[in-house]
Amino acid sequence: MPRVNVLSADAATEVDAEIRAGRVVVNAVDVATAVGWDLKPEGLCRGDVCVPVRDDAGVRIDDGVDLGAVAGLLGMATLVDEAGRAMAISAPAAARKAALKGRVAPDFSLPDLDGALHTLEQYKDRKRLLIAFASW
Amino acid sequence: MFLDESADDVREWAEGISFPVLLDREHLLADLYAVSNVPTVVWIDADGSIARPNSSEVGNDMFVDFTGVTPDEHMQQVRDWVREGTVPADADYEVEDLTDDEIAGRLAFRLAAHHRRNGDEARAAEWFATAGQLAPMDFTIRRAAMPLQGVDPFGEQFFELFGAWQEAGSPYHGVPRN
Repeated sequence: MPRVNVLSADAATEVDAEIRAGRVVVNAVDVATAVGWDLKPEGLCRGDVCVPVRDDAGVRIDDGVDLGAVAGLLGMATLVDEAGRAMAISAPAAARKAALKGRVAPDFSLPDLDGALHTLEQYKDRKRLLIAFASW
Repeated sequence: MFLDESADDVREWAEGISFPVLLDREHLLADLYAVSNVPTVVWIDADGSIARPNSSEVGNDMFVDFTGVTPDEHMQQVRDWVREGTVPADADYEVEDLTDDEIAGRLAFRLAAHHRRNGDEARAAEWFATAGQLAPMDFTIRRAAMPLQGVDPFGEQFFELFGAWQEAGSPYHGVPRN
């Protein structure tokens, strides 16, 4: 089966997928690989949280799952590159909105220059400065 | 946190820094915190709340000739916050949310960077162009794309971008600089 590179907020993965009318359709078992949320009978689940999926939500298409519809339910924006067989997916908008409106600092996990992962949470209970910089 | 493609791009900037230096290749932190240019500083309290949101602050005098800004005022504000818990008057500023076009532009940027990594320069160029059209005032797109396309981010294209940005009213997701 043809492959699509899915660039989600958590990871870059490659999954079997067909692109039909601009929609990226994957196997249900690959939803978790693609977006980090598992498609279960209860809905889309990650850890303790499940988001219900109504039958008319357009998530299930024929024998597959519309990744864009899944992302939409989770508040994630998407952009499909059909010719390039890639799809970029943002983090759920909720975390950003909590930062901007609710002034809650979203947690994250990023590598340092040696590849070790750091989260905001691991430095909790003290004041922190988050400094966004660049070589440009 | 560096909005850069690889650790190699960042290493010399990070020399001598004792606090964690992170690589945000996919610009995820820039998305989570609606960062549209660097440097941007966010103050985070011990309880995880944002004490002072996105503001454009410098850490040294490296670019004072261009910006006219020294690090002294911000450093004193940070000291006052750490020692006394006080925050400046602008700390309650509500940062503007990303627009749909800015969000799409950032997705386009990530597609471009992905194709570039895979050696597909033609697709990368197309998507960098699309990203720049969607969010022309977003430096995490326009300026970040420059070194990824062999363009000097401190050269002519940058000055053109900077001029256009000033003409557009210097839009920035964060505390306005007076």
